[in-house]
Amino acid sequence: MTREEILGKLRGIMGRTSQAKVDWSRVNEQSSIASLGIDSLAMLDLMYDLQQEFGIEFEPQDVVNVSTVGDLAAFIEGRMGA
Amino acid sequence: MEKRRVVVTGMGMVTPLGLDESSVCARLFGGQGGIRRITSFDPATFKSKNGAEIDPEALAAALTAFELKPSDRATDMALAASGHALKQAGLLPAGPGTPGEDTAVLIGSGSGPSHAVTESWKAYAAQGARGVRPTTVPRCMLNVLSSQVSIRFGLKGPNYVLVAACSSSTMALGIGYRMILHGYARRVLCGGSDSMFTAPLYTGWDNLGVMSRSPDPDKACRPFDAGRDGFVLGEGAGAVVLESLEEARSRGARIRAEIHGYGETSDATHITRPSVEGQAAAMTAALRSAQMAPGDIDFVNAHGTATKANDVCEAEAIRGVFGSEADRVFVVSSKSFFGHLLGAAGIVETLSAILCLEAGRLHANLNLDQPDPMCNVRLVGRESQAIPLRTCMKNSFGFGGGNAVMILGQYKE
Repeated sequence: MTREEILGKLRGIMGRTSQAKVDWSRVNEQSSIASLGIDSLAMLDLMYDLQQEFGIEFEPQDVVNVSTVGDLAAFIEGRMGA
Repeated sequence: MEKRRVVVTGMGMVTPLGLDESSVCARLFGGQGGIRRITSFDPATFKSKNGAEIDPEALAAALTAFELKPSDRATDMALAASGHALKQAGLLPAGPGTPGEDTAVLIGSGSGPSHAVTESWKAYAAQGARGVRPTTVPRCMLNVLSSQVSIRFGLKGPNYVLVAACSSSTMALGIGYRMILHGYARRVLCGGSDSMFTAPLYTGWDNLGVMSRSPDPDKACRPFDAGRDGFVLGEGAGAVVLESLEEARSRGARIRAEIHGYGETSDATHITRPSVEGQAAAMTAALRSAQMAPGDIDFVNAHGTATKANDVCEAEAIRGVFGSEADRVFVVSSKSFFGHLLGAAGIVETLSAILCLEAGRLHANLNLDQPDPMCNVRLVGRESQAIPLRTCMKNSFGFGGGNAVMILGQYKE
């Protein structure tokens, strides 16, 4: 799966969990996750959805340093390649 | 510690009569109840087929206005009602350094996030362990109702949920009142929210034999009527902002009502059967708290469920406490309009009472065709009634034997 394909899936998953009105077509690797209406409850949902969607397993503490969409895409890419 | 006067400066509601005050007022004083055949699921196989449901599209629109997405019905309703109350009180946005930030959140609920619980059962039954999301835990914890209100609106006072069946939100009001009265909080958002309209949960109520089996939704809920045959289940939420009179004045807030006193007791007898003694003791405690006598009360907004057991018991308790004053004091039940909102009943009926106090008009007791002679109190009839009103006693009694009684009134300088 390419980085762009991962980003496309991320936009869809985050769009379903976000509480905010966001133009998801403009969301890119530099976008801060905190700015996308993902609160603490939505973040828990997002972590679960990512594991289901990408067929990977991780713990919440594995993503504590993830702050941008690009960070998250890179993390997923790494886990899928592992 | 110095006692303060406690006033209401914001009101929000999500009810079967509507989500805005003007709609609720029009229907309340126009005699249009909110009970219909249940639509949340097919009620064909149930003995009781009517309910007082909210308009889900109106709730979705209210959530969107606060930039929220649907989660669990009771949680969503608590959020929408709280948002409306905070907005009316002039406390939004409640960011750092604003008056709204220093607000406690007390939400009463009998069953909490019951739709989320039902969804988790369904997911496990359908898909096993992989179907159950980790967010089942924070979505299904009872205090999700108050914690989500705190988080969404940035309210940093204490937040918790009070659980006492059908007395829950009156108890939330009572505890919030005491927190302001004795200076433990600057401002308290008190509310209630409950919904049991999922087929598995409704089944228990249906089998309990306490709900009306009338085929006619307009005639099903008949508090204090000789032909009553049980309550009609409803869903909804309400919220008020309580603060001290000094605090409200300093902000220039519009004052909607004043809370004068609160009393609570337990029957300590039976898990579902009410007790005259327990109810009367709570009414007496509320009057004592308000430093009032029966002669100071203009009307009782009754618990008035329309079950055989409650209405006779409550009328006897009112007669016992009020004595000859019971010939003068009007008694009205809001449940013929809203249905029985369980843990949210107390707060929504308190809002109804405040609307009556403001309007100088009591809403009707719908379907009171033939008052039960066993209910020896002065009942409002089938039409709303204009009358000077200053003070109200609000009764709430719950399964488990918890009794909560609030005394409130018009605000006067």
